[in-house]
Parts: sequence; C-alpha cells; structure tokens
Amino acid sequence: MKFEKKRASTKQEIPTASMPDIIFMLLLFFMVTTTLREVEVFVQYSLPEAKAIEKIENKRLIQYVWVGKDGRIQINDSLVKLNEIQDIMYAKRQALPNVIVSLRVDKSTDMGLVTDIQQELRKAYCLRINYSANIKI
Amino acid sequence: MIKKKKLPEATIPTSSMADIAFLLLIFFLVATVIDVDSGIGMTLPEFVDNPETVEVPKDRMAAVLINETGDVLLDGQPISLFQITNTLKPRIQSKIDLPNNKKLIVSIKTDRKTEYNAYIQALDQVKVAYFEVRDEYSNSKFGKKFSDLEDGSIEQNEVKDAIPIIISIAEPEKVK
Repeated sequence: MKFEKKRASTKQEIPTASMPDIIFMLLLFFMVTTTLREVEVFVQYSLPEAKAIEKIENKRLIQYVWVGKDGRIQINDSLVKLNEIQDIMYAKRQALPNVIVSLRVDKSTDMGLVTDIQQELRKAYCLRINYSANIKI
Repeated sequence: MIKKKKLPEATIPTSSMADIAFLLLIFFLVATVIDVDSGIGMTLPEFVDNPETVEVPKDRMAAVLINETGDVLLDGQPISLFQITNTLKPRIQSKIDLPNNKKLIVSIKTDRKTEYNAYIQALDQVKVAYFEVRDEYSNSKFGKKFSDLEDGSIEQNEVKDAIPIIISIAEPEKVK
C-alpha cells in the first residue's frame, strides 16, 4: 500500500498583484498630507503644554512668530527686532485681512517680552492670536 | 493560406513598480511632519492711545495675579495653580442667568519677569473652567457636549451667549 502525503489543493501564495495599488494609495495619502517646511527656524524653543486647546482650522491664515530661549524673535525667514514687528505685521495684515498670529514662544521667556510683542501686534491691528501649545495628556 | 506571424507580447514590466512606489512612500513618510497647529486662541483689544477706564463692580471681576516665582493670587487669596479651575467654575455658573453686561470677567495680570509657562498654565486653567461650564450647560439643556453641537447652530450660539469667555489680559505693572 502506498501512502501519499495529504496536501491542500489550493495555492499557498499570498496574492501580491494588488500590492502596488495599496502602496500607491498610501503614497497618495502621504503626498497630500505632507507640508514641506518652508522656513528654517533659527531660534530654539520648547512649547508649553495646555489642556484647553483649539485647533486652527485654516492653515493659510497663519503667520508665525517665534521667540527663542535667548529672547530672539523670528518672523518668516529672518530674525527681527521688537520695533520692526509692527511694520512687518501691518504689511502682512494688508495682504491677509484676517490673519491669525501664532505665537510660538519658549516656555521660559519673560512675560515682559511677550507683552511687548502683543503691544506691537495691537498697533499693527493683528488682533487674532494663538498661543501655540502642545496637548497635555 | 498564409498563417499570420505570431507577434511577441508587448508588455511593460511592472514587477518593479511596487519597489518604486515603496521608495517614494518611504520618502514621503520621512518627510511628513504632521504638525497640527493647536494652541490657546485669544483676541487682543484694539490699540488705543488713552484708554478710558471703566469701573467694574468687584463681584463681576476675578483677578488672577501671577508673580515672578509663579505664585498665584485669585482675588487677593493665595491659591495653587491647579485650583483655579475649581474656584472659578461656581462663579461662572452663578452668572449664567444674568444679562450680558453682568457676566464674569477674568483678568489675568503678570509681572514682567513672570515665566511665560506660568501664564499659559493659568490661562489654560481659566479656559478649562469656561469649557467645562459650557459643556455642563449644553449637556443639561441639549443633551450634547458643547463641542458636539453644530458649528453656527442656534444651540451653540445660545450656549455662547449664556457663557461668553471674557478674559482680560492686563499689562504688567512695570511698563517701560
């Protein structure tokens, strides 16, 4: 009597024909969501944490202002002085009437500097601000 | 009868397409910064040269003072930072039914040397207090959380009207 090993008659392969399609789909997702960094940030900062956080719906309206550990201020691509903020922000507001200023300020900055910046923003009529913060869990 | 010459099959080799797609995928995975812009939103008042001072009745105000070492005073009482929410909540709730010009005003005042972090923590506590009161009010009235109400709907506006967030950022004492 001859013994024969039992084998499943189905193919033992993972169908890979649709793999490129799946990969392409993932690829498209990442391509769409990617925002390549436009500006290089020169200042060092670490954001504070907060619970009552709102998301900014419209990214196009945002103008960033960075304030580093050492108190330097950066707008767009360059470091600016305190008294230059008003002119820059006023020009920005002319181009984008409902601009939201996102303040990315380092945790250990003095409130005096933050207030001075806010005063400049008020003079430039940039009244919508957002204190950038990370979510506290 | 002439037999047609069989042509070799013309195909593009697609076996390496997956590899190419993978390569691109990895590039975009690495380059992506999913960085959500989130933070505490505020609206600054317009700049006026000589602001008029208006007297506000004491019971309408909640004054939060933060000094340079991060100690907090709420209406003259020393308080820990994390108690701000719980202390403010009943005060906000007690003014829900009052007309608009009698609602609570929270004033936050810091020193010039106060750390930004301390200020954000205090502001966050105040905001949390307001959000929780809004949630509870909308829950009892509409059975939904405030954030679940539709944007711009009548219900949402009603909650906003009942509990407006009025936070005043006072200038630090030692103004240059």
